[in-house]
Amino acid sequence: MSSTHRRKERIDRGIKVRTDGLYALMSWRELSYLTVPRLVLILGILALPIVMPGMYWQKVITIVCIYAMLAIGFDFLAHYVGLVSLGGAFFIGTGGYIAAILNSSYGLPPLLTIPIATILGAAICTLLLLPCLPLRGVYFAIVTLMYPLVLARIIEALDVLGGTDGIMGVDSFASSWVEQYLAVTMVLIFLFGLRRLVNTDIGLVFRAVKDNDQAVRASGMNISYYKAVAVFIASAMGCLAGACLVHIYMWAGISLFALDFSIIPIAATVIGGGGTIVGPVLGCLILVPISELLREFGTLRIVFYSLILVGFIVFRSEGIMVFGERKYHQFQRWVRV
Amino acid sequence: MLEANGLMVFYENMLALNNVHLRCKKEEIVGVFGANSAGKSTLMYTLSGIMDDIRKKEAMAGGERITVLGEIKYLGREIGALKPSKRAREGIILCPERRRIFRESSVMENLRIGGYLSTAAQASETIDYVFSLFPALKNLRKRIGGFLSGGEQQMLAIGRALMAQPKLLLLDEPLLGLSPLMQATLVRSTRVIRDQRKISLIVTEQYARPVLPIVDYAFILENGTAVLEGNREELMGNPDVRAAYFGVN
Repeated sequence: MSSTHRRKERIDRGIKVRTDGLYALMSWRELSYLTVPRLVLILGILALPIVMPGMYWQKVITIVCIYAMLAIGFDFLAHYVGLVSLGGAFFIGTGGYIAAILNSSYGLPPLLTIPIATILGAAICTLLLLPCLPLRGVYFAIVTLMYPLVLARIIEALDVLGGTDGIMGVDSFASSWVEQYLAVTMVLIFLFGLRRLVNTDIGLVFRAVKDNDQAVRASGMNISYYKAVAVFIASAMGCLAGACLVHIYMWAGISLFALDFSIIPIAATVIGGGGTIVGPVLGCLILVPISELLREFGTLRIVFYSLILVGFIVFRSEGIMVFGERKYHQFQRWVRV
Repeated sequence: MLEANGLMVFYENMLALNNVHLRCKKEEIVGVFGANSAGKSTLMYTLSGIMDDIRKKEAMAGGERITVLGEIKYLGREIGALKPSKRAREGIILCPERRRIFRESSVMENLRIGGYLSTAAQASETIDYVFSLFPALKNLRKRIGGFLSGGEQQMLAIGRALMAQPKLLLLDEPLLGLSPLMQATLVRSTRVIRDQRKISLIVTEQYARPVLPIVDYAFILENGTAVLEGNREELMGNPDVRAAYFGVN
């Protein structure tokens, strides 16, 4: 009876098995099996500013990279440390305002403001988020969502830091190529840096914190410390993105605390595939240009946007990257059982 | 009552159940014994239909591909394609491994949730029955489920399963992590349930000795294959089985 049954089998490609260990690379074919996808990604992203037609689309690529940095941070926090962060706007705002103040009040050049804003902003974000790090559950998400709202209202109500007008006259980058390639290379550095980090020892601890924080505590490790380190890494990326954004716009205002910066990274992670780090970048590469293309539909674009998102969640909740990786590494065939 | 023929379950390419044939007659207690990873829980999930649910979730999240083959006949009807909720309505109730009680609800609430499928009269009758079966639960009815001890939780889990008015009760490792005394109590009440409620039971367990006195027929699973089956005497007569599953030489 069962001999008439078939099932679809999914097995690793031979070349995947052979190239799993780095020492087993025997031929150009195997070498390229490993390197071509990575090279396509690196060269593709590096080529993007050149192939884009016109200033407008080049700007879009920069914005894509800004969102990609946030999305990488979100993916890292959510899938490797177990902290669901809605704080994209918080990181962007903190980093952006610090860079703007340093530039406009103290006259520091972008070369200095961006690193300072990155480190200082990340430290401030981590400090402010420290109280909710020992907690498990939804609290971290709520707190990270509330901070940007609070900060925006404080700036508006007290009329500090330029109030509703914002801080104007921030220096721009030397040229548009500098700004684009800064954003693009930063995304690539963070991307491959984080992929490496999550496989080191501290990355293992991060994942352990996500899986079972009590077991980590029982092993004599302070989970709040490790969570703080992870938040510092993610917020540093967000603050750097914010600082770049301020120098691109030559302006810092309360729209830096806009919810877009919190929501789009999440959407990009869903579309790209959570837990892959690369996925969110791809998600941003798809989502941000789409939202630009739909700009002529006005606020209706939110509808298209939501439909895309819902479609992905319902039909392909694994995300593009997970799906693609599986197709690349495995093949399917029917077998009789 | 229940007849499973040629059950095969694949987790991706791993064979978890290999061509298992299983029968359970009316008002019979059937034991399924096997070590860890022998496929006991997989078998229970497959019979109750939960496997179908797990399969869909995995497919949506792009995880493991689960393949279920074979036929399950219940009261003469093929139920392989039936959803777990439909199977529960037909009377196949699973009391899951590790109890899975609703930790934040009280004992009484747990029982009432279990009685979702029964009428009000059935529910109040069964609640009384559960309390007479497990008097220990009676004083704890307001206690939050998560604060119960392991044995009390297991009693509650069985009580909750009974509330659904099962015709076939699947007990997945009911004795897991319990003291010998509690094990004996539960085994005794299992037989009482069968005798008084006139239902069939399938009980899985790693260690056969405590359960053996009450089973009418038993299967032994090894690596997903049913290597041996027989009634109590036949199994006790087999020296390998005695050593491996009953702990006697």
